[in-house]
Amino acid sequence: MKATVKEKLSYLKQSVFHPFDAFYEIRFRGKGSVPLAVLILAIFGILQCVSYQYTGFVININDLAAMNSISIFMTWVLGFVLFIVSNWSVTTLLNGKGNLGDILKVTSYSLVPFMCTLIFQVFASNFIIEEEAMIVYVITGIGIVWSLFMLLAGLCVIHEYGFGKNLIAILLTFVAAAIILFLGILFFTLIEQMVLFVISVGQEFFRRL
Amino acid sequence: MGKILGCPMKRTKGSGLVKWAGGLLALSLMLTPAQAQASDGTSYVYDGYTYDFYGNAKESPAMFLLERTISVDNLQGIPLSGVNDVCTSQDGRIFIIDTLESRFNVFDENGGFLYSSKLIRTVDNKIALAEDGSQIMLNAPEGIFIHEKEKEIYIADTGNKRIVVLDLDTYGLLRIINEPADLAGVSEFRPSKIAVDLANRIYVVVQSSYEGILELTGDGEFSGYYGVNTPMISLADYFWKSIASDAQKEKMSKTYAPAFNNITLDGEGFVMAVTYDLSAEDMVFRLNSKGENVLREEGNTLVVGDIWSMNSSDTGSQFVDIAVTDYGTYALLDRTKGRIFLYNFDGELLNAFGSLGNLKGEFKNPTSIAWLGSKLVVSDGTLNCVYVLTPTAFGQAVLEGNRSYYFGHWDEALVSFQQALALNANYEAAYSGIGKNYLMKDDYETAMYYFKMGNNRTFYSKAYNGYRGGWLEDHFLIVMVLFILLVAAVVGSEVRYHKQSKVKQKAAMKLLNSRKGRATE
Repeated sequence: MKATVKEKLSYLKQSVFHPFDAFYEIRFRGKGSVPLAVLILAIFGILQCVSYQYTGFVININDLAAMNSISIFMTWVLGFVLFIVSNWSVTTLLNGKGNLGDILKVTSYSLVPFMCTLIFQVFASNFIIEEEAMIVYVITGIGIVWSLFMLLAGLCVIHEYGFGKNLIAILLTFVAAAIILFLGILFFTLIEQMVLFVISVGQEFFRRL
Repeated sequence: MGKILGCPMKRTKGSGLVKWAGGLLALSLMLTPAQAQASDGTSYVYDGYTYDFYGNAKESPAMFLLERTISVDNLQGIPLSGVNDVCTSQDGRIFIIDTLESRFNVFDENGGFLYSSKLIRTVDNKIALAEDGSQIMLNAPEGIFIHEKEKEIYIADTGNKRIVVLDLDTYGLLRIINEPADLAGVSEFRPSKIAVDLANRIYVVVQSSYEGILELTGDGEFSGYYGVNTPMISLADYFWKSIASDAQKEKMSKTYAPAFNNITLDGEGFVMAVTYDLSAEDMVFRLNSKGENVLREEGNTLVVGDIWSMNSSDTGSQFVDIAVTDYGTYALLDRTKGRIFLYNFDGELLNAFGSLGNLKGEFKNPTSIAWLGSKLVVSDGTLNCVYVLTPTAFGQAVLEGNRSYYFGHWDEALVSFQQALALNANYEAAYSGIGKNYLMKDDYETAMYYFKMGNNRTFYSKAYNGYRGGWLEDHFLIVMVLFILLVAAVVGSEVRYHKQSKVKQKAAMKLLNSRKGRATE
């Protein structure tokens, strides 16, 4: 049943053009690959950094002097990790059949059209004038819509959901993501206070020694 | 010294401002002639700033510094208590309207006293009498306008509800414009600020009138209301009004159009107006003949003055007056923070400086601003004085650059903007200015470099368009060959694919036939 690398790539390609069929194969016949999904997510993060810096000047309104590639990378990648984890935690409660790996594969695979149009945008924007920017934006928009469609289709397939339930699950995913964020911030604030407390106790101790 | 200042200094946070301010002070002391200083011998140095593309306030040398103060000391014993409007003539006279003393005072450009009067005389210096035989005394006048074309002075005699027209040379009475008989609308005829255009039409601002600017013909007949000042409508208001019944609507407070508060004419004869009403959508207007706002706002920010508010009670800038040069650069006077904002005709912020306070050169209640050549004359109603501000070396360079650009002298503009850049390497307007001049000379590559430095994407795009067109022309052969190769490759692959599929089809048919044959056997 183990699929070869070539086969995995061919299923990645098929998932872009025939998402329902391909994600079915990935979910039930093991044609997907977690390392490939992780790789795609990492490339996506890097691509966002590249797009921040190398998008043509005419449509690039980013302050390049204030660029922080680690923060950009982390924002995008952790954003999707957050989505994956919270979707998983919601769908486990809502009878979703997909496991964490499936959600990761679907999410990463469905980024591919967006990534392709993003590469196009970065490249083409260096050769356009303001009046032509709309064309580039439209193409990127198509990529985003395509990606969204793939994501919705993939989640429907792996969780064995209907369309309506899938939407509800995604809405709840955002609620769950907010809760996770809140808890995360709370956790780090408390840890910080604890660490500071230990440090100050240590300082006090060594000063009195 | 000049050499040191000339080379672009590396600006670090904190020390940069001190360096610049110090450098500017030294430069101003060195370059400006001796009389270009405040009467006590020291020059007040303003802190200037501009906004960059990202909306960050960037420190900049101020474009102006205090040259002299005209106050009651210059008036030879005549009291001065409510400076409300200031105006200049082309020959350098400064006219000050004193609302509380009901006077107009005239000074020469060095602050020397020339004339002061509340009682209007005739051209041959006799006491003028009105139609009913009374003497013509000003009563709480609020505005003054110099009409250079006809050599006339227009004084808005607000308290007497009339406009007094005087001769520019003798200050003698020419005529009086009373309330027009056929004045329509509900506004009272209390003229406050006046402007007269080249066709002698008189534009009158009545404070707190929601009908717009009052337009009179040259003979003082009512001609109409002019200018649209749209109020902002909040979404909540809209919602409640949409569901309210007619009876409820009647009891609700009505939304009136905000009033214009001050008015002037630009070099092309367009009426420019400001409003400080917080409910107004726009704050600065350049009105076309239909009364629509056609102000250009192509800069990093809209023409609104300060773009950040410090807290919730900060209302933002409120402009009490506007002064325009003949090359479209205008100065806006803000009363909330006592600042002067300079914009060029494209709406790019050139410089902002000034503050409220008690120091010499600071404002308490700024009321009016006017250009005196390249100098600025600013009046303050509480301090009861008029500041004459003279451009610094930086200001001179920026103003000259904008003037030359406006009149199409690209080479001079280039030199001026380069000077400005040498004094302030963070100055996006100068980078843009240099870029525009290279663009006008069709030097697209250099223009692109400067537009990139000046963060000016619209003009970068224009320059790039030219550059790309030239590149395509130069490399037409290669581009064409590549294009043909691409087309050939696509067509070729299509053809090959068809052939292959035909071969496959044949093979499949063969297989099918052989199977069929086997089956029939």
